[in-house]
Amino acid sequence: MRKTGYLHDMRYLLHDTGPYHPEMPERLIAIHNGIKDGGLLDHLTIIPASRAELKWIETVHDKNYIRRFEEICLCGHTTFEDQDNGICHDSYETAFLAVGGILDTIDMVMEGKIDNAFCAVRPPGHHAEQNKAMGFCYFNNVAIAARYLQMKWGINRVGIIDFDVHHGNGTQHIFETDPTVFYYSIHEHPSFAYPGTGREFENGAMEGKGFTKNSPVLPGQGDDIYKMLIERDLLPAFERFEPEIILVSTGFDAHKDDEMADISVTTEGFSWIMETIMKLGDTYSKGRVISVLEGGYCIPRLPELAKEHVQILLNV
Amino acid sequence: MFVSNSMVRKVITIDKEASVFEAHEKMTSNKIRHLPVVDGEKRLIGIVTDRDIRSALPFSLLKGREIGDEKSSCSAEEEKAKIAALKVKDIMTANPITISPMYTIQDALLMIQREKVGAFPVVDSDGTLTGILSVRDLLRAFINVLGINEPGTLVGILVEEKIGQLKKIVDAITEEQISFGSILVARHWEPNTRAVFTYLLTNNVMRVKKKLKSLGYTLLDPMEWYLDQLPKSDKN
Ligand SMILES: [Zn+2]
Repeated sequence: MRKTGYLHDMRYLLHDTGPYHPEMPERLIAIHNGIKDGGLLDHLTIIPASRAELKWIETVHDKNYIRRFEEICLCGHTTFEDQDNGICHDSYETAFLAVGGILDTIDMVMEGKIDNAFCAVRPPGHHAEQNKAMGFCYFNNVAIAARYLQMKWGINRVGIIDFDVHHGNGTQHIFETDPTVFYYSIHEHPSFAYPGTGREFENGAMEGKGFTKNSPVLPGQGDDIYKMLIERDLLPAFERFEPEIILVSTGFDAHKDDEMADISVTTEGFSWIMETIMKLGDTYSKGRVISVLEGGYCIPRLPELAKEHVQILLNV
Repeated sequence: MFVSNSMVRKVITIDKEASVFEAHEKMTSNKIRHLPVVDGEKRLIGIVTDRDIRSALPFSLLKGREIGDEKSSCSAEEEKAKIAALKVKDIMTANPITISPMYTIQDALLMIQREKVGAFPVVDSDGTLTGILSVRDLLRAFINVLGINEPGTLVGILVEEKIGQLKKIVDAITEEQISFGSILVARHWEPNTRAVFTYLLTNNVMRVKKKLKSLGYTLLDPMEWYLDQLPKSDKN
């Protein structure tokens, strides 16, 4: 069994996206229930949220953007920059707690207190651009985590794997020219699904050319194609890159019962993906794998998906 | 959607007395394939394309290599001199097909398909060159029309060919406060039906999809649509 951290805090429920919004607090309750009912809590190191220092968020986002987000929340607005982005008074603070919890988790992994971790945070992050909130995301949690690893822990090669059904446009753009961060994403083809980026020909820019890799998947496809593309695209890329640590943008919205998109990965398919990521972690990254929650909106399926996910991290 | 909004206004042009070498050099350094030829008053008199130049210059010259074939009747020097004397006016297409800045993008799309050219010089009513519109510019305009340079989700809906169907769909989507990137309507292989493709500027299509279904619409399986499901003609 591995030592696995579980970033879990009821304050992540405070971010209220408004009525009928799919990115709802119930997602985290479902995830927690799955882990709890699976009898896994006793094996996990529970990590509470903490508020991130502003300076870490500024490693990715513009000061003006952060201030704008704060003002909009405090003024009582219900959306930020786009109809998609439902917010409430507490959204700004919750977003700080998400980042802070992840950074604490990184410290624990780097100090060797835990081997790996699952960060069950809200709001999600991978659509957030340096200067723009998009697709329910405000601060790009994983991007800030990567910068933190570089700046605080001197990590030279960060590998990011994003298997949310949507392309992580924010993460890709933030590291597009950076050859020290490899961004790999597998997602529904952008001609059909949000956000319309992540095409096969997008592979980084300038010095970062070749350090971004996208595997778009056509609607209706599932486990077989995911397996084929991950073996064809991700495995050789990470063999060349040899990441010192792996950050995972974990989205469960490619599940066949999730109506946010048209992809049909099964629960077993998700397990295969995560097991493959763990093998990569063991091979190149001393087992250092930090999984950060992005999307996943099918409440009835989230418990089993979270349970399987954490079991694989624990290796039980 | 007028040509004047999409054309390139700073046109790189050439004089009819200029050498073909100069035209070639101008195209490669500016990465363009069409050079309008103008007189002193900026009036259009012709156009040279990279294809005109390729057929005028021997391959070896284009690649910057020395020419000289001992077996040919004239010497290498003579041939070089002959080519150096070639002028733009000798190889240009005089009186090319032009369009007006007030043509619509649709006009230009149809014309480019019919005339099989890569670009149209844009001239105003007194013959002055005001811009150039290439396939590249049309593509950019079309990407704008489709709305795909903004983040969104495509939803395909099957509707009966009846008055008021589209309005109902637009109303249902608008009620969800979702903005449109574009709406395309295409013929569908089933008789008396249309396929409506809405590009919605949102990540959140779950509710609107349910709503459309409850209104009795069939959502198209994304793998079973697209405009190329129409019977293809064997000619281009
Ligand atoms: Zn997603």
